[in-house]
Amino acid sequence: MMIFTDKVTKTYQSGEVTIYALKQASIEIPVSKIVAILGPSGSGKSTLLNVIGGIDRYDSGSIQVNNGTLENLKDRQLTEYRRNNVGFIFQQYNLIPTLTVKENVEVGQELSENPLEMEDILQKVGMWDKKDKFPYQLSGGEQQRVAIARALIKNPRLLLCDEPTGALDEETGKNILKLLKFVNDHYGTTILIVTHNQGIGDMAHMAIRMSSGEIVESSHNETPLDPEKVTWS
Amino acid sequence: MTLKKSIFRTLKENKFQYAGVIVLLVLAVMLYISLSMAITTLEERNKHFASDYKQESFHFITGKKLSYDQLSAWEDKFDITLEQRTYKDLSLDETTLRLFSKTEQVNIPYVAEGTVPEEEGEIAISRVYAERNGYHVGDKIDIGSLKAEVTGFVYLPDYIYMVSQLTDLLSDAEKFGIGIASEETLQQLKTSGQSQILGWSKNDVLPKGLREVVESETTLLQYVEAGDNPRIQFVESEIDGAKTMTTTLPLFILALSITMVLMLMKRRLDMQRKEIGTLMALGYRKGELLRHYLGYAWIIGLTGTIVGILAGAGLSIPLSNIYANYFNLPALSMFEFEPFVLVIGLVIPLSLLILLTALVINQSLKAEPLTLLRPKEMAGGKKSWLENLPLMNRGGFIHRYRLRLLVRSKTRSLYIFLGVMFSTILLLFGFITFNSMDQVVEKTYEDILTYEYGVYYKSLKTEKVAGEASPFIMNEIKVKGEDTKITAYGMEKDTPYIQLLSDGKPLNTKLSEGAVLSAPLAAVLGVEGGEELTLEIGNDDTITVKVAGVSDLYIGNTIYLPRSQLNDFLNYPQDAYTGVWQTEEPVESDDIYRIEDKQKAMESFESTSGATRASVLGMSVFAVIIGLIVLTLLTNLIVEENSPSISLFKVMGYYDSEVSKLVLNVYTPIVFLSYFVSIPIAGLSLEQTMNSVVEETGFILPTDVSWWMVLLGFVVIMLTYWLSLTLSKRKLKQVSLQDALKKQQD
Ligand SMILES: Nc1ncnc2c1ncn2[C@@H]1O[C@H](COP(=O)(O)OP(=O)(O)O)[C@@H](O)[C@H]1O
Ligand SMILES: [Mg+2]
Repeated sequence: MMIFTDKVTKTYQSGEVTIYALKQASIEIPVSKIVAILGPSGSGKSTLLNVIGGIDRYDSGSIQVNNGTLENLKDRQLTEYRRNNVGFIFQQYNLIPTLTVKENVEVGQELSENPLEMEDILQKVGMWDKKDKFPYQLSGGEQQRVAIARALIKNPRLLLCDEPTGALDEETGKNILKLLKFVNDHYGTTILIVTHNQGIGDMAHMAIRMSSGEIVESSHNETPLDPEKVTWS
Repeated sequence: MTLKKSIFRTLKENKFQYAGVIVLLVLAVMLYISLSMAITTLEERNKHFASDYKQESFHFITGKKLSYDQLSAWEDKFDITLEQRTYKDLSLDETTLRLFSKTEQVNIPYVAEGTVPEEEGEIAISRVYAERNGYHVGDKIDIGSLKAEVTGFVYLPDYIYMVSQLTDLLSDAEKFGIGIASEETLQQLKTSGQSQILGWSKNDVLPKGLREVVESETTLLQYVEAGDNPRIQFVESEIDGAKTMTTTLPLFILALSITMVLMLMKRRLDMQRKEIGTLMALGYRKGELLRHYLGYAWIIGLTGTIVGILAGAGLSIPLSNIYANYFNLPALSMFEFEPFVLVIGLVIPLSLLILLTALVINQSLKAEPLTLLRPKEMAGGKKSWLENLPLMNRGGFIHRYRLRLLVRSKTRSLYIFLGVMFSTILLLFGFITFNSMDQVVEKTYEDILTYEYGVYYKSLKTEKVAGEASPFIMNEIKVKGEDTKITAYGMEKDTPYIQLLSDGKPLNTKLSEGAVLSAPLAAVLGVEGGEELTLEIGNDDTITVKVAGVSDLYIGNTIYLPRSQLNDFLNYPQDAYTGVWQTEEPVESDDIYRIEDKQKAMESFESTSGATRASVLGMSVFAVIIGLIVLTLLTNLIVEENSPSISLFKVMGYYDSEVSKLVLNVYTPIVFLSYFVSIPIAGLSLEQTMNSVVEETGFILPTDVSWWMVLLGFVVIMLTYWLSLTLSKRKLKQVSLQDALKKQQD
């Protein structure tokens, strides 16, 4: 799935001051690659991810996905876009506390017409043994695996991860990264990872650097590092 | 759909709150349904009894016995049914038993227990009369010349309100009862009998000209139409009165409860914002989410209303039997309902709940998923203009934080304000009605009407009254332009037998300024002290009087004037009187038309208004319970909504007591404020409700809020508030900090 952003701008008004969450951001996301979005806190990383994922609107510019543009889509069409193409992974996991692991994943599965196998996906994220546990019975890393399974089971073309390891320690975080890499290899899913962890840039095929809402640098990486070897910060 | 499971688990997880909401709905619906079904059942029983048992349209008594041919000639001519009935008044001990011959076409007797008396020497008697005098089915009682066996309890369609004479005001089952027997049994008795002709016509159309025809053929001694017959009419008006009271008050409670349920539902749904946001981001369609979250409303609404209706219908069965006892009606049917009742009990609460919930959900769905994913405080975390006040920036951190919390969560504060207000209104509602049922009788009959007997003479008297009695003049009057029948009393200002009071202050001396009204009359006419009234008697004479005051006389439409003034108006001599009030028991004599025994009047009021009184008492208990549930739910919700901050402060190292000061006690001033604002509102709204039903009930419930209610209400509200805070705090303490934080991810 081809994604271009063309001079996308989003502002917030804070009293007299206009804050540019995104300022003329133009980028092309390569298909079936892992892309890391790096930058200090407040630089607009999440905003970029959210507008691409269709859970936030932008003021001007254009985002092209396949042959359509997101700015022209009505709410309903945007929903269809997310439903059929996008998987989200949040820093806060956002699992439904009253559903078990398996049921949480089912919530994602029911959205798709040809979803992946439940057992298969839970085996792959290593949560099959705990499929009947509730979120509060899991560690942060485990919860994030469930969230990944929930996003993956509908077999999306695009997986958007906002600080997926932000709340995790190095070992657990690296396991999540390995999982993401595996997903990319195995299903060819395009994966965008927002992070302020510079090291993660080294495992991606492409790294985008942001500052004050602007894309200041984008670099391709022909030889991504194995997640295990990433320097954690 | 897997999501469905989360509904049930969420309900289970917050079972206290959801169960509370459901119970609230159940109670309110049940109260309304049971009372209105019971009274409808009663109304229907009365209607069926009248139609199925051919209640008379009229009856008459002639000087001579009429022949069978004569009657059937009239029947044909006027298209009516006529039947002759004989009766004898028997004296049993101190009582009178009026024994009727059995009829087959008009006023057909209904035997409730036992059998219809067929054989000679068998009788069936009225149940209340039997109960008051200790007779049972199977007993043999001495009825003069023979011993009769009681074979059953009987009801007669023309003696639903059992009075001996048509002019009698009060029914007294201890002294007067009715019974039936076969014609042969009646003939055995030596007492002289009376014969009457009972008339029935289709749809109660009164035959035109019958009266004249009868008069031309024979001497007509009495001709009474059903509409003028208190034995028939009284029950209908009592049922009307009870109906108004027993449906208006629960409707008020139901409306308050539904509002509370809606409020609580909205709060709970607001808490699910983040979940909604997550599901939206995952790609769930708005329609799917709307349907999913409406599940809560359906479950709560359907459970609450259906259980409420079933419980109410069940409860209405014993209730209507209790009512039936007060009204002396046979239990012809188990229960009846008007479809309208179901509309109010089911359709309205349910559709309101669904509609409002849909609105709340839609509000969330309209937002961008991203907005929902952010914690609400941040999403709407605008600085309040109130924070710019210098007052807000003084004091220590805790002080400032509390103030800020208060002004930033204005909606939350508003909810608490409204919730406490509803509970307060319901509580006071309960206290006031509970208290006032006694006040009605106590104030009216003990504090104000201090005589024991009222003696009414057949003619005007002018001679000096004997002994300690106090003379009065009484007349029916009307207020110009109004239909209400009013009893006017002309009294001596210094009589010891009427102490007109208003809030404990005597009003007798004010009679020199004008008239004093009873409270129901003032409410019916809508007048207050100081206004003027134009009174008229039958002819076109009018008199304009100033209203000097309204007395705490809660029963009857009466107006009190100085005797000389009323005499003047009626063109009677200055010292004329038609009756006297006294404490000694009067001796019966020929010139006495009626003796009013105050104790009897009191008992009679207590029994005829018994159905209403019992229901009002029940309602007050319900109001208090509902108020308490509302308050408990609300406090629980406060704690839950604040639990993220609570956990956070605890993590930061604040002591529990500091945390509760910081977060929970913030709302205490609001609770105080709301309580004191609500008291006058409770009094006023109840007064309005009472005034709107006074015309039907004929009595008014005093709605004064006394200081003990304010105090007790305050204690109850504060205690509930404090108790549920403590309970919830304890619950929070048990949860490990890590779990608490994990659960409330925002
Ligand atoms: N709802 C909002 N209201 C106001 N400002 C916002 C809002 N969301 C984000 N911002 C601002 O937009 C900028 C970019 O935010 P974000 O994309 O979340 O940054 P990052 O993810 O890189 O930390 C920041 O300056 C942030 O303060
Ligand atoms: Mg971010």
